[in-house]
Amino acid sequence: MILRVRFHGRGGQGAKTASRILGNAAFNDGYNAQDFPIYGAERRGAPVTAFTRFSESEITERGFIFSPDVVAVMDDSLTADPTASPFAGLRKGGLAIVNTAKPAAEVNGGRTDIAVLTLDLTRRALDTLGKAVLSSGIAAAVARASGITSEAFMRGLVEELKEVGLSDDAISKNVALATAIYDVVSPIKLHTEELPARADLVPLAVVVSGEGTEDVVNTGNSASRHTGNWRITKPVIDYLKCTDCMICYAYCPESAMSAGPDGRIAIDYDNCKGCMICQTECPLRAIGSQMEGLQ
Amino acid sequence: MSTATKFKTLKDIPKEEYIAPGNTMCAGCGGILAVRIFHKALGPNVAWVNAAGCMTISVSYPLSPLKSNWLYTAFASAPAGAQGIRDALDVLMAKGKLQKSEDLKVVVVTGDGAAYDIGFQSTAGAIQRDLDFYYLCYDNEAYGNTGFQMSSSTPYASSSKTTPVTAAYPYGNTGRKKDLFEAWRAMKAPYVATLSNSHGVDFLRKVEKGEGIRGPKLYIDFAACPTGWGFDPKYSIEVEKLAVQTGVWPLKESVDGVVRHTYVPRALTPVREYLRTQERYGHLFKPVEKPEAIATIQRSVNDYWAKVAAEESTQATPAPA
Ligand code: SF4
Ligand code: SF4
Ligand code: SF4
Repeated sequence: MILRVRFHGRGGQGAKTASRILGNAAFNDGYNAQDFPIYGAERRGAPVTAFTRFSESEITERGFIFSPDVVAVMDDSLTADPTASPFAGLRKGGLAIVNTAKPAAEVNGGRTDIAVLTLDLTRRALDTLGKAVLSSGIAAAVARASGITSEAFMRGLVEELKEVGLSDDAISKNVALATAIYDVVSPIKLHTEELPARADLVPLAVVVSGEGTEDVVNTGNSASRHTGNWRITKPVIDYLKCTDCMICYAYCPESAMSAGPDGRIAIDYDNCKGCMICQTECPLRAIGSQMEGLQ
Repeated sequence: MSTATKFKTLKDIPKEEYIAPGNTMCAGCGGILAVRIFHKALGPNVAWVNAAGCMTISVSYPLSPLKSNWLYTAFASAPAGAQGIRDALDVLMAKGKLQKSEDLKVVVVTGDGAAYDIGFQSTAGAIQRDLDFYYLCYDNEAYGNTGFQMSSSTPYASSSKTTPVTAAYPYGNTGRKKDLFEAWRAMKAPYVATLSNSHGVDFLRKVEKGEGIRGPKLYIDFAACPTGWGFDPKYSIEVEKLAVQTGVWPLKESVDGVVRHTYVPRALTPVREYLRTQERYGHLFKPVEKPEAIATIQRSVNDYWAKVAAEESTQATPAPA
């Protein structure tokens, strides 16, 4: 039997490393294994995807995993992010492991035909490592759920962390974190079925070309990407102080500010990434900040 | 600048947006900000020609932040792509198939990897052929898109993926940043300018000035890169300001070979104030400060401005080395 695992994280959380740890662990346990990330730009905060396949017999599949048996979601904001779509193609009867403090029903992407396991990995990582790097924790959860032995997993973990250049101290903290998570998860027997082809794709204005891909004709359509969910802090303008000097507007790299007909500056929260340049540059300190998720 | 300009204060920045929100550059990226301001100054009729780099990923099928045209070329050949578009437009206009009002400004946009290294030769060719185009290099001083490897724009003592700090190389990069401004000037480009996003009026005026010049118009923008340089994105503009105030990044232009500094800091801020804002120079301060390396950088900045003072009778008071 082959198991296909897809990791979804944000740049910096360790999705690629997690896929490699799992690949190593499966290989150490006697499986054939593959692991690889989607090659793309390394953007802090942007969705990142990585894959692991392992199987008792030879693996003949190659390339991206479109119908995973398991998805590992390292940031619960990804469950509502159309550019990540972590549940897309997840097989019926499959398993989603979600890093969240929320209840499973809020982070299952509306899917009732899958099993969902929630773990508050961020808190555990902050407690043990002092930072929200989740690769060891999420890899431990997937390894345990899929029945990989503790010995094979720990060896794979240490091999990979050495390879990425962690200090011995950092490695032992990661081992402690991974052990704790490995111990709270139970092996899960999965019987999965591929989903029928999707009918819910987003329509775009295109010209069907004679060869190659279709030409997309609505230029400047990136606003539908909603990079607002990259934001950790949110800039808020205090209109009692603001004099509409336009300095913040000029320096916003995202074109996320606009001046109304009355000259008032407004922020487009759908796509503001929360870089907070506007707050730093406002000469009147008229822009405050709020943590996202808090009111 | 003595000639009439539309741009007196930052408030004069054109309000039309040609780069839609929702691009995929890092939060706080100086590169996309440079493209946004450049496009505002040029207006709507632009054809961008891009070689591999961070900006390439901003257009990822099927979503694009650009409301104008975009041609993607191989790493080495953006100026050759620009030649093709320029020629096609000229031929169509000569045949009467395109109105003059439909003409496009052809703008190459690349990072320093393509401008300083991989596309250097094809740029030289385009300058030699006197191609009527703009070149905007957003210079983040390394190959940012692939994880911050050294380019020939990487400054002395910066660490990068390929110039890490080791026992043998305690300062990281031992090479010096190539002077692309001088290289382009030496090739007789009629207009060459440096830009900093932090000096928006100077930036807008230089693009405006280029519009009145036929032939290659080449710009190097100092593009703060929070991801590669290691600083909080909210300080992007502050880091650029410091680069200008310390004299590390001179703002200047060359018209037919005659160089003029468009901004001369009255007194240079010590370079250490700039260096200490960024992780890529972190080893110069931690675990112990490395005064020799910092003094080397300060001396080269002071020497530069001493030469400027001699040549242009302007004076920036040096900072102690
Ligand atoms: S936080 Fe950054 S992206 Fe958001 S409005 Fe301010 S400058 Fe623009
Ligand atoms: S910089 Fe400050 S005062 Fe100026 S428009 Fe922005 S918020 Fe208002
Ligand atoms: S790596 Fe640097 S230049 Fe590239 S998108 Fe990120 S901030 Fe911009």
